[in-house]
Amino acid sequence: MRQIVRRVALRVVWHVARMASLILLSALGTVWLMRSAPGYFSDMRETDPRYAESARAELELQREQQKTVSGMTGKLLKGWLVGDLGQSRQYDVPVTTLLRPRVRVSVQLLLDGIIAGWLAALAIALPLSARRGSTGEMLIAVPSAILLAIPTGAMAILCLMLDAGGPILVLATLVGVRDFKLVYTLLRQTWTDPCFLQARAQGIGTARMMVAHLLPGIAQHLVALATMSVVLGLSAIVPIEVIFNVPGIGQLAWSAAMNRDLPVLLAVTLLMAVGVGAMSIFGAQMATVEAA
Amino acid sequence: MRRAAIVLLCALVATAASVLLWSPTGYATQDREQISAPSSARHWIGTDDLGRDRSVRVAAALLLGLAGASAASALAATLAAIVGVSAAFAPKPLARALLYLCDLFLTLPWLFLLMTVRSALPLTLAPLQSAAVTFILLAVLGWPAYARVTCAGTLRIRNADWFLQARASGLHPGRVAIRHVMPHLRPLLVTQFLLCIPAFLVSEANLGTLALGISEPVPSWGAMLLSLEHASAFSGPAWVFLPIVLLIVVLLLLQLLVTEA
Repeated sequence: MRQIVRRVALRVVWHVARMASLILLSALGTVWLMRSAPGYFSDMRETDPRYAESARAELELQREQQKTVSGMTGKLLKGWLVGDLGQSRQYDVPVTTLLRPRVRVSVQLLLDGIIAGWLAALAIALPLSARRGSTGEMLIAVPSAILLAIPTGAMAILCLMLDAGGPILVLATLVGVRDFKLVYTLLRQTWTDPCFLQARAQGIGTARMMVAHLLPGIAQHLVALATMSVVLGLSAIVPIEVIFNVPGIGQLAWSAAMNRDLPVLLAVTLLMAVGVGAMSIFGAQMATVEAA
Repeated sequence: MRRAAIVLLCALVATAASVLLWSPTGYATQDREQISAPSSARHWIGTDDLGRDRSVRVAAALLLGLAGASAASALAATLAAIVGVSAAFAPKPLARALLYLCDLFLTLPWLFLLMTVRSALPLTLAPLQSAAVTFILLAVLGWPAYARVTCAGTLRIRNADWFLQARASGLHPGRVAIRHVMPHLRPLLVTQFLLCIPAFLVSEANLGTLALGISEPVPSWGAMLLSLEHASAFSGPAWVFLPIVLLIVVLLLLQLLVTEA
């Protein structure tokens, strides 16, 4: 047992260090990209007549500091270490002020969408996988193939056009359809294990087998799949939030990308990278625990 | 099924090409007298908000989307093959560095990464340039996941007995790679190429709905979906759904091709 704990702990440390370096590199990449973007040095605030001469001088000073990528990165890193994510160029407010309420909105949307998607996927996959024959599978194959073929943006626009459903429905459909296929395949494979065939032959009820044996047995796989849903959801929230006008992190990222608002974009990049990194580490650990 | 999918795809492409060839108007030509007009002899499926022929625009979007996604997919598969095979045969530190590079691209969600990079490029590119940039970006950012798969496939080949025998017989590594490894990797690479096409079409459509894809007046799935954002399904003509329906049909056919491959 101690060996297993040690092995898992070592792997966690290794994954965290690797992920931290990847996050740092992706942040540096974002700084470099934005800094090289055409028009980066033109600031909207300069056109505002309310800006006094002193403020313009301050902007000029900031521009001087951002002349080199290394100087700019150094300043940003120093700020991050003390919890200062900088000032939004577009909204002229601290980035943390912008992020805090939006993170809450996006996390709520992600949670609702993923939970609804998973419940729908499990509700269809569990009874379908327990059936012998492939009639049910064929019935579900067509709608799931069609739903898989609809891009997130198109699905959101269709919902808007038909005035039916909202962001949660779109996210849940996206997650549910993709995960249904994986969950169904996993369940089908598990049902054909010799132990389940034996249990069936002994006359144990399907419901009892599911609750007592099947689900606990594949729980780790399901958790690993759920981490993939989070990554999928993080990608999908951008078009969903933009099209449904949800004031979340995806909409903020899009607006920052359109307006070259580097501090905001950088903060969102870091958040996204941390989210994906945490999910990958979690998924990898589930595999390690299972292997051990 | 595969043959049926190929025939249907070819039929769609041929229809789109003939619409473009026979139509008297271009995809950007505006008919100011016929703004949002219904179906007529002149405009088979009506016109959009700017008086442009909808059939011509849908046909052009289909051709451009398929051509661009196929080209981007070929580029991504080539990059994935180069990096994947190199990582499998390179000394350990270099292999680790290459796989680390793949992970770096995979650290951020795909669409988010695309959006970040696209926003760093000029937003006022010429329309055709924006189309080229969009598809090149898709290829440049889309290869890492496939490179990992290729690397795993190549490692399996590298550890095979016949491969060890070939190396032991003194065959040059370059010759082994070209004459023996690549033919074994071909099914994997073809599948990846086919997988990338629908993925890139979907990504282009999603980028377009964020107004970061191909710029107007060049027609694209994304731009057409974006223009539907403020349309109503009940008051407008049924033809407004055509871009979405066609996109879904094309994606379904491509998925069928991948499944059968």
